[in-house]
Amino acid sequence: MMFLVNPSKFNKVADYVFLPVLISSIILFSIGLIFVFYLSPDDYQQGSTVRIMYVHVPSAWLALLTYAIMTLYSIAGLAFRIPFGFIINTAVAPIGAVFTLICIISGSLWGKPMWGTWWVWDARLTSVAILFIIYLIIIFMNLSFENRIIREKVVAIFVLVGSINLPIVKFSVDWWNTLHQPATISKLSKPSIDPSMMIPLIIMTFAFIMVGLTIAILRIKTEIISRKSNLS
Amino acid sequence: MIILNKIISFYYREYKLNLSGFQDILTNIIFFFVSIFIFIFSIGPDKETISSIGIGIVWTLLLLSSTLSLRKFYQDDFENGNLLIMHLNGLSFGFIAILKTFSHFIFVQVPFLLSIPIASILLNIAKNELLYLFSSFAIGSFILSCLGSISSSMNLMNQRNFLLGSVIVMIFSVPIIIFSVGIVNLEENFNSLISILFGILLIVFAINPWASGLCLKLSLENN
Repeated sequence: MMFLVNPSKFNKVADYVFLPVLISSIILFSIGLIFVFYLSPDDYQQGSTVRIMYVHVPSAWLALLTYAIMTLYSIAGLAFRIPFGFIINTAVAPIGAVFTLICIISGSLWGKPMWGTWWVWDARLTSVAILFIIYLIIIFMNLSFENRIIREKVVAIFVLVGSINLPIVKFSVDWWNTLHQPATISKLSKPSIDPSMMIPLIIMTFAFIMVGLTIAILRIKTEIISRKSNLS
Repeated sequence: MIILNKIISFYYREYKLNLSGFQDILTNIIFFFVSIFIFIFSIGPDKETISSIGIGIVWTLLLLSSTLSLRKFYQDDFENGNLLIMHLNGLSFGFIAILKTFSHFIFVQVPFLLSIPIASILLNIAKNELLYLFSSFAIGSFILSCLGSISSSMNLMNQRNFLLGSVIVMIFSVPIIIFSVGIVNLEENFNSLISILFGILLIVFAINPWASGLCLKLSLENN
């Protein structure tokens, strides 16, 4: 497991893994889209708009997962002095921002036919918007410092301070009575979703994970190279 | 005893600095009142409208005008080397952050606290609401000072993007605004909301010396 903290070992593993991950992302995405558009049933209330869920939910999960990964690597970088943590922070932040943006846009496209508005000031929506702005601040911080050593540590501290938003996003639907529905799948009891909708959702989740992993591998390798040649 | 002497001389120096730069603090206050005027001109002088949104306006403008002076939080002491001298005199970076936070609270936020009653007259805020506003801002302004300490120490070496510090403070002050404005709207929940605000204050006060001390140390090491 040393490839998770060591740049040169990560490079070796990434060379082996990259092509399978790329191919499986293509395959999973095509299978998932076939499932989403032809094999999954319409909802009895929402009709065909329920298919937005298969993009909305995986991107929301991955936005949170990306931030959680960044938090773990910030702790590793600051506490255990592992520089690979800072590399991950720099490389992964734009991916998380794009997933959050996909989540917000697909959610508002889903909200217009179902709730009647593009946007409400609901607790879940607001906290996700704050998550998006935190991602943007991380990206801007990465761009605006000139000294690399200060930049990576300050960004790691900011990621740790901003991670206070993660439990707020997760539990906002339980703490406040709001328009956004509570968790259907990621809860302690049995998921209250039908298997015919659960299967395409899981396939799409894995497809999103593979796409994110493909971009992440490319970005991390670029970051390692640019650090080796002292470009940034 | 020696540490007490150091603390007293620190605050004496802050007092003299702020006394000589008194127009800075006054300009902050004037900014606050001018923006109240602009708000009133833009929404019209209707009494009912103003008093219904008055608390929100006061809180928003207090937040905006207290983030204006954030650049001076550590920047001057950092550039003329006083921060390093304080550290060489035996104050740790975290302790300097705590002292600076209190000094920012006393010299920047307390004048705002004193100008709230005048603003409440301008915005037609009722007397009992003024009490809630005052107590929530007394706690909330200290949270803003702690957040300001964190963000301005992060941006000490940031030479390109000065506004980032204000954005950081504003994005973390969203829960403070929610709970403090909620105090006025839900008067029966006064105690619970004040307790939540106080809890946020304790969390931020615990994070503050760690985060800003680390950022100060980094900036001084790599200057």
